[in-house]
Amino acid sequence: MIIIGERINGMFVDIREAIQAKDPKPIQEWAVKQEEAGAHILDINTGASVMKDEQPAVMEWLVKLAQEVSKLPVAIDSTNPIAIEAGLKAARGKAMINSTTAEQAKMDLYMPMAAKYNAQIIGLAMNEKGVPKTADDRAALAMELVVNADMNGIPMQDLFIDPLALPCNVAQEHAPEVLAALRQIKMLASPAPMTTLGLSNVSQRCTNRPLINRTFLVMCMACGLDSAIVDANDNDLVDAAAAANVLLNKDIYCDSYLKTFRQR
Amino acid sequence: MGLTGLDIFKQLPKTNCKDCGQATCLAFAMQIAAGKAGLDGCPHVSSAAKEALEAASAPPVALVKIGTGEKEIQLGNETVLFRHDKRFEHPTAITISVNDTEDVAAKVQAVNKLVFDRVGMLFSVNMVAVINASGDAAKFADAVKTAQENTEFPLALCTEDAAAMGAALEVAGSKKPLIYAATAANYEAMAELAKKYECPLAVKGADINELADLSEKVSALGCKQLILDSGAREVNKMLADQTQIRRLAINKRFRPFGYPTIAIVTSEDPVQAVLDASVYISKYAGVVVLSTADPAEILPLITLRLNIYTDPQKPIAVESKLYAVGEPGPDAPVFVTTNFSLTYFCVQGDVEAARIPAYILPVDSDGTSVLTAWAAGKLTPDSITELIKKSGIEDKVNHKKLILPGGVAVLSGKLAEISGWEVLVGPYDSGGIPSFLKQRWV
Repeated sequence: MIIIGERINGMFVDIREAIQAKDPKPIQEWAVKQEEAGAHILDINTGASVMKDEQPAVMEWLVKLAQEVSKLPVAIDSTNPIAIEAGLKAARGKAMINSTTAEQAKMDLYMPMAAKYNAQIIGLAMNEKGVPKTADDRAALAMELVVNADMNGIPMQDLFIDPLALPCNVAQEHAPEVLAALRQIKMLASPAPMTTLGLSNVSQRCTNRPLINRTFLVMCMACGLDSAIVDANDNDLVDAAAAANVLLNKDIYCDSYLKTFRQR
Repeated sequence: MGLTGLDIFKQLPKTNCKDCGQATCLAFAMQIAAGKAGLDGCPHVSSAAKEALEAASAPPVALVKIGTGEKEIQLGNETVLFRHDKRFEHPTAITISVNDTEDVAAKVQAVNKLVFDRVGMLFSVNMVAVINASGDAAKFADAVKTAQENTEFPLALCTEDAAAMGAALEVAGSKKPLIYAATAANYEAMAELAKKYECPLAVKGADINELADLSEKVSALGCKQLILDSGAREVNKMLADQTQIRRLAINKRFRPFGYPTIAIVTSEDPVQAVLDASVYISKYAGVVVLSTADPAEILPLITLRLNIYTDPQKPIAVESKLYAVGEPGPDAPVFVTTNFSLTYFCVQGDVEAARIPAYILPVDSDGTSVLTAWAAGKLTPDSITELIKKSGIEDKVNHKKLILPGGVAVLSGKLAEISGWEVLVGPYDSGGIPSFLKQRWV
């Protein structure tokens, strides 16, 4: 299970204020804290409050700050292609693009970018018509992503397909479709594409969010989820992921499996 | 695993003509992958594409048969790179070679004797390879005839001279020998012979690239029962080639390598030869050819092959009968355990360490451990009593005392009642047997 730490994102107040004040401290604190908690990749997002023309510079600044104190790779999270490219240029190691959709125009933009920078790329199983209702429709869009990645020479191990989780209070019927879609995505190609999920979406505005998050994470892992964008400092969630990895026979069991999971 | 959507899509014409009833070729590929449509739904798909897709749904390593009747050899159908992922299916065929310049009858008779008893079963070598070392076609045919008359094992006929092969096949062709080998120079004639006699054909490349090329050509001529030889003879190159061939066949579905392989041991030093053959048995070789018929050199290979090709998902069991450790007398202690080999050998080792001769009675628990057998109702007072009667232990000792594993102490009362033996509860762990015997058994 690859844990992508979600915390360096301008939608959180402390990060937004740090960006405005050009204060590196909160950024670097979260980079270290997430790495210590077991994150494998740091997601970096400027947030919507940064003006579009400033986004590339802010992205570059955030990436460099985070990687100054952490050895982790970064996921460049933006809807602005110029900001993404700036982040890719600044990043050390193998970076990740977060994200493209299955819209042809976006795939034509981001897939060659991923190939050029040898980056991983998250592909959302949606297009201009929005998020599909059923697992079959999600898998069909995932197939578009697979074919386009293949045409651009991106290995399946670098393509992370996100079948899109929606809040379970208002879009409850989507959760089982996401589980079915995960299983189908693993059958699309051989080797199979990777899968990921913006996990916290599933519990938006629900009570006891951590419980919903970790329960869904474990269910998704059983269906073939390889990675998730999560709150890496939610200890119960990381514990659940560690236990699920053991139960899926992905990690060899040992008594200190919780500790080992966080050290890898 | 079936074909993936991407594999299928790559073979489609990409016209998006909707003649199949789907909106796009991509959608059609998804339907096929999900088993909801057949390839014949598309009127525009090429025959080459059809063939590629059919081949891709075949097993990654073809099943190849050598010989006929009881000693027929089956090779291939392998699906994994590591035995712990599932299991290795068809054990390596150990083959002994004989030159047509030596005393063929004597050597073949020595080969016939290479039969060994391992864990209560008989295991032998599998094939005799007759080599045309003389270069003389008549002599070769003669040697093949002598070999065939002296052994039941299938033969491999080894010459690159198609005329000599033709003569030898007239003698032995009806018994489906392995034809060794088709090379870049002779493959058309060899393929003809293989088709005529319906024999498996070995394909030998100068290196792994030429092998892929030749394999494709020979298969295009209609030979589908192939054995691959990358031409490597040094153990390091052979290991690399074997790994590539198996990996490409399974992971990439590379059809030219979708056949079993042959590995030829050339080391002169017998120790080195056995070590080389061990590597080939562990790493994917379908056939291993050695020139020695010395039992001391073949026994370790037979044993290694047995071990490597056991099914890791099935527990290994010892025979359920009375075993003696050392030379126990009528006063010797008697231990009860189960026939899971790991359990039995732990107990046996610890009894040996106690340096007191003893008897061990492993109850037939279908190869499960003491606590597993107990929980599954396979280690019971009844099953233990039955083994006591059947094993003949009552005639071997002059006492009626039984030592039970400490983990199943709860069985002791009922066991004593049913069997009429006095039951001593031994230590929980067999590591405690030496001190248990010192304190409790005089």
